[in-house]
Amino acid sequence: MAGIGILVTFLGFAIAVMSLGMTSGVNGRMIMVLVGIAVSLFGIMGMIIPAYNKKAIWRK
Amino acid sequence: MKRLTLLTTTLLLLASLGSAQTPPAAAPPATPAAAPPATPAAAPVPITDADLKGIETPKAEKRAAGDPDGSLTGTVSDIAVADPITDKTPKAKGLTVADMANQIGQNKIAINFVWTLVTGFLVMFMQAGFAIVETGLCRAKNANHTMMMNFMVYGVGMLAYWLIGFTIQMGGVGGVGNLGGIPPLSVEYTVKLFDKPFGLFGQNGYFLMHHGTYDVAVMVLFLFQMVFMDTALTIVTGSAAERWKYAAFVVSSFMLGAFIYPIYGNWAWGGGWLANLGTNFSLGKGYCDFAGSGVVHAVGGLSALAAAIIVGPRIGKYTREGKSNAIIGHDIVIVLTGCFILAFGWFGFNPGSTLGASGNGNLRIGSIAVNTMLAGMAGSFGAMLYMWTRYGKPDASMSGNGLLAGLVAITAPSGFVNPPGSVIIGLIAGVLVCVSVEFVDRVLKVDDPVGAISVHGTNGLWGVISVGLFADGKSNYGGSWNGVTGNVTGLFYGDASQLVAQFMGVATLIGFVFTAMFVINLAIDAVVGQRVSAKAELEGLDLPEMGQLGYPEFELKTETAAAR
Repeated sequence: MAGIGILVTFLGFAIAVMSLGMTSGVNGRMIMVLVGIAVSLFGIMGMIIPAYNKKAIWRK
Repeated sequence: MKRLTLLTTTLLLLASLGSAQTPPAAAPPATPAAAPPATPAAAPVPITDADLKGIETPKAEKRAAGDPDGSLTGTVSDIAVADPITDKTPKAKGLTVADMANQIGQNKIAINFVWTLVTGFLVMFMQAGFAIVETGLCRAKNANHTMMMNFMVYGVGMLAYWLIGFTIQMGGVGGVGNLGGIPPLSVEYTVKLFDKPFGLFGQNGYFLMHHGTYDVAVMVLFLFQMVFMDTALTIVTGSAAERWKYAAFVVSSFMLGAFIYPIYGNWAWGGGWLANLGTNFSLGKGYCDFAGSGVVHAVGGLSALAAAIIVGPRIGKYTREGKSNAIIGHDIVIVLTGCFILAFGWFGFNPGSTLGASGNGNLRIGSIAVNTMLAGMAGSFGAMLYMWTRYGKPDASMSGNGLLAGLVAITAPSGFVNPPGSVIIGLIAGVLVCVSVEFVDRVLKVDDPVGAISVHGTNGLWGVISVGLFADGKSNYGGSWNGVTGNVTGLFYGDASQLVAQFMGVATLIGFVFTAMFVINLAIDAVVGQRVSAKAELEGLDLPEMGQLGYPEFELKTETAAAR
């Protein structure tokens, strides 16, 4: 789960960079970059951290 | 009369020097409606070497009697002459206009060297502030360990940066006009993407000897950039404090200083692809991060998050049900003293990032310094009022973190915004740091003993975004920024594309920097191990990890919330 989270986090960065080539409009780029940020945040907060918290020391 | 001519000539030379290094502005400044008609300027009087002959210098016997009012020190006799007239060379040229022009040029660069070095020294002193803030927020049983991490991160980071980091970050910067150009740092590795060059890392500067980088200006730039890099590294020691294995800290810090920080630093400041978003993709003036909310603080804060996730929470921080326990630091006095040291050092951090005080709009340093102090003030107020309203008391440690949050947030926009903008940015940062600390602690359940993730990570990102909102288009550093003519202007002043460039930086920080540091720390965990044993953690890390107590004559409480 954490491994997939790492990939998803990096995918967000890739989406943001791809916006530079996929559209030339400011609005289009803004939307794509924000989507990229949201994907990366989901990777961290929705996947990596929960995966680590499942085996956290306070659960033992 | 000759002195008057000399003065006029000097002023003309200075003016011509300034205009020679300053690209034309995008548009001439508007003339005020009520201004009287301009008087035609007097034609410049050409000056020749002959005009400089016979300028009186202080007599030797008068000079030997001392100079209590300073009128005899720093005169024409102090100008270096290329072909001086002596008893043996009576037909030499003596003082020439060329000598004076060279002296003026060197004076400008000397001012900028001294400015950059002294502000760099201030930034270096911030290490002491970080050290005592973090140590004060930790328990006394870990004082030696926490101080030692903050102490050695200076050496570990510097070694990594000298060996390779500086080359990666600044080896292809291409030109720093305020420091004389620095032509040796001119080789950037680029790839083509979307038919545009993407600068990825620099290639000149290994050991400060490679390809002409044994150079006075390179040394100044290295010192200034090195202390910035060390600031980023020391942020991580806070979030992983009280349970981080010392060996893992050394390796992790080295990797951050050698590779990850310099790579992002290159993209933002070293001529890399983020800086060129303006020239290549018409996104504002490219990614703008004046003094490093993103490059320094968000890189440090996100690396701190990666380390804190992998290291895991301290024993006793959470109950079995996941409820958060407060683990109080041992010395609020040194915490707030450290905050003051940091606020003082920030006057080097932000104003120093002009890399000069003379030429190219660098007189803006006054505005940058005031923006810095205003945002810090607003941040501390924001945090204090938030805590007072929410919990009934003006929490001291969060007020300190509010001050730092305001300073972190204003770091990127400090060179581009006005005083009201700075106060708004700082005030939001002060509230944001409190909300973020609660979110990280209670919702994410990531243990961050000093609030480093929120102070530097969250507010570093906020600082980057705030450039794209609040930059007022009034700052003019030589008529362009990142190679794009015009002044940096945010959304509220009419340029939405600048905000896109800033969000691109945010996406890179979260998606690339965090991922890279997470993977590196995973590898370190597999090889060295990141966390100390439970026994060592309960005892305190001073003896097991460092072999010496921080406070050997004190009787320390070893009981934790979990033990109770």
